[in-house]
Amino acid sequence: MNRVISSFRDGKGFDIALVGAALLFLGIFAGLPLVYNVVMSFQAVDMFSLGTFARPFVGFDNYIAVFSEPIFWPVMRNTVVFVVASIGGQFVIGFGLALFFTLKFPGSTYLRGLFLVSWVMPGLVVGAIWNWILAGDFGVLNFALTGLGIIEDNIFWRSDTAFSLWAVIIANIWLGTSFNMILLSVGLASIPRDLYEAAALDGANGWQRFWTITLPMMRATIGAVISLGLIFTLQQFDLFAAITSGGPANSSNVAQYWAWDFSFRQYDFAKGATISVLMIALVMVASVIYVRSTRHEVRG
Amino acid sequence: MTAQPQIELTNIDKHYGSFHALRDINLTIENGQFVALVGPSGCGKSTLLRSLAGLESISGGTMKIAGDVMNGVPPRKRDVAMVFQSYALYPHMSVLDNLTYSLRLKRRPKSEAEAAANEVAATTGLQKLLRRLPRELSGGQRQRVAMGRAIIRHPKAFLFDEPLSNLDAALRVHMRKEIRALHDRLRATSVYVTHDQIEAMTMADHVVVMREGVIEQQGAPLELYDRPANMFVAGFIGSPAMNFVDGTVDGSGTGARLALPDEPSIQIGKRLEPGRKITVGLRPEFLQLASGDEAALHLSVTTVESTGSTTYISSLGEPEIVVVVNGRTDVAAGDKIGLAIAPENVHAFDPETGKAI
Repeated sequence: MNRVISSFRDGKGFDIALVGAALLFLGIFAGLPLVYNVVMSFQAVDMFSLGTFARPFVGFDNYIAVFSEPIFWPVMRNTVVFVVASIGGQFVIGFGLALFFTLKFPGSTYLRGLFLVSWVMPGLVVGAIWNWILAGDFGVLNFALTGLGIIEDNIFWRSDTAFSLWAVIIANIWLGTSFNMILLSVGLASIPRDLYEAAALDGANGWQRFWTITLPMMRATIGAVISLGLIFTLQQFDLFAAITSGGPANSSNVAQYWAWDFSFRQYDFAKGATISVLMIALVMVASVIYVRSTRHEVRG
Repeated sequence: MTAQPQIELTNIDKHYGSFHALRDINLTIENGQFVALVGPSGCGKSTLLRSLAGLESISGGTMKIAGDVMNGVPPRKRDVAMVFQSYALYPHMSVLDNLTYSLRLKRRPKSEAEAAANEVAATTGLQKLLRRLPRELSGGQRQRVAMGRAIIRHPKAFLFDEPLSNLDAALRVHMRKEIRALHDRLRATSVYVTHDQIEAMTMADHVVVMREGVIEQQGAPLELYDRPANMFVAGFIGSPAMNFVDGTVDGSGTGARLALPDEPSIQIGKRLEPGRKITVGLRPEFLQLASGDEAALHLSVTTVESTGSTTYISSLGEPEIVVVVNGRTDVAAGDKIGLAIAPENVHAFDPETGKAI
C-alpha cells in the first residue's frame, strides 16, 4: 500500500494519473460521441428510434442517399471554395500584418494586441455586424466600393446567389485573420535576427531573404496555421446562421451547415451523421499534416 | 600588396540616442592585415565591426573599403563576410547549401558552386560533413562552416565577431591557431573582435585597444605590451594584469618611493622631476624573488597558487601585488619575500591623466 502511495507521490504513478485524467476526459467527451456518430451513420435513425442504441444497420445506405442528394455536389463545391478562400485570405492578410508588425514602430505591440478583438467576438455578433456592412441598400461596403468606382450598382451580397457565399467568406476572413497573424508573429519572432544579417552580408536582398530564410524557417508554423485554419473553417457555423442561413437556394450552403440542417431541422440524424463522418475524415487528414509539420520543426 | 589601404576609417562617430558609442575613430587597415579590436564589453568594438559590415549605421565620419566610400551602402553591396559569435548558420540548409548560399544568390552554375564548396571544405576539413544539417554538427564544426561560408566568397574583408567565445577552452586555443594559419594562407584582410586580450595578442598583426567608444592605443601586439600608452592599456594587455602602485619621485629623479609598507624605493629607469607624484606599473612576470641588498621591496605573502609550470604569489593589501614565478617555489603563505625589478621594466604613469610618462 505504501508503495502505491509513494509511487503516486514521487514516481510513475503520478504521471499515469495525469495522463489518465486527460485520456478519460477525451474519451468521454470526444471519443464516445465520435464513435456514436460513426455508428449512427450506418444505421436507420428516425424520431422513434432516437432514444435507443439498438437501431437497424443499413450499411452504406445513408452514404448513398447523401451522395445522391441533388445539392450534394454544389454543397461540396461551396465547402471547398469556402475553406480555400477563407484560409487563403486569412493567411495572406495575417502574414502581411505579422510582417508589418515586425517593423517595431512606436505602439506596434498595442496595435497588434487590438487586432485580437476580432477573435474574442462571438460569431453571431460578428455575423450581425457584417449583415449591416454587407447590406445591399445601406451597407458600408457597397458605399465604399461605389465611392471608389470599383462597382457601379449596389451588390446584394446576402441575397444574390453569386455573392452569398462570398459574403460569409469575407466575414470569416475578418474573423480569422488575427489568429493567423498572432501565430505567424510568434513564428517570425523565433527566427534569430543574425540569420537575416548573415544573409544580407551573403548578398541577399529583402525578397531573397524572405524566400530563402523566412519562408523555410516558418515551415512548421505555416503548416500549423493552415491545418488549424482548416479545422476552424470547417467548424464555422455561426456566420452562416447569422448572415445567409445557407441560402438563397443553397448557394451558400456548406457541409457543416448542411449536416446541422439535416439533424436538427429535418431530424434526419442519420444523414447529418453521415456528412459529419465525411468531415471527420477531412479533419483527420489536416491533423496528420499538422502533427507532421510540427514534428519536423527546424531550430538552430 | 597594394599601396592603398583595404579599410580606412576617418573620424567615425556613432550615437545611439544620447549614448555616444563610437567617438572619433581613426583606423587604417592594410591589405592582408589581421587586426584585432579588443576591449572590455561595451567598449564599442562590436559596434565598430557591425558598422563596417553595414549592419549599423554611423552618425559621422568616412568609412572606406578598398577605396570606395561605404557610408550608407547596404551590407549586401559591401562585399565583406562576417563570422558571427552564434555562427548564424542557416539551420534549414545542409552544410553544402550553407557554403554555397552566396553563390546561389548570384545565380552561379550549380557545378561551379559545388566545386567551390568542395575546395573550401577541403581547406576547412568539412569534406565528410557536406550533407549534414547544422544541428548535427559539433561547436567546432559549426565554427568551420561559418568560416567556410565566408571564405568561399573571396570577400574584400573578413569580419569576425567573437567567433571563439562559444567554444570550450581547449578547442578555443586550437581554433585560434587554425584561424591564424588560414589567414597566413589566404592573406585576406581580417578584422577580429574579441574581449580576450590573449586572442588579440596571439592572432593579430595589429591590435586596437578600445574603451568607451575610444581607441586607447593601437599597434603591434608586443609594442602594446612593452610600451602601453596609458594605465588602461597597461592593465588590459598582459595576464595577470600589471600591478599599479602609487609613488613619489625621489631626490635623485631616477628613483621612486612607493606607497607600500616600509616605503621601499626602486629605480624607475628614467629621470623625472623630484617630488612628482606618479603611478608605477610593475608587470607580475618581471618581478623577481631576491634577497639581501638586491631586494628593493619586501612583502608578506597571502596566497601561493601553482599550476605546475607557473606559480602565482599574491600579497593582498592596498594595492594587491601579484608576482609570477616560472616553475615552482618554496615560498609559502605568511612568508616575507624580497622582490627586485630591472629599471627598464618599470612603467611610470601620470596618476591624474593615466598617461604613460
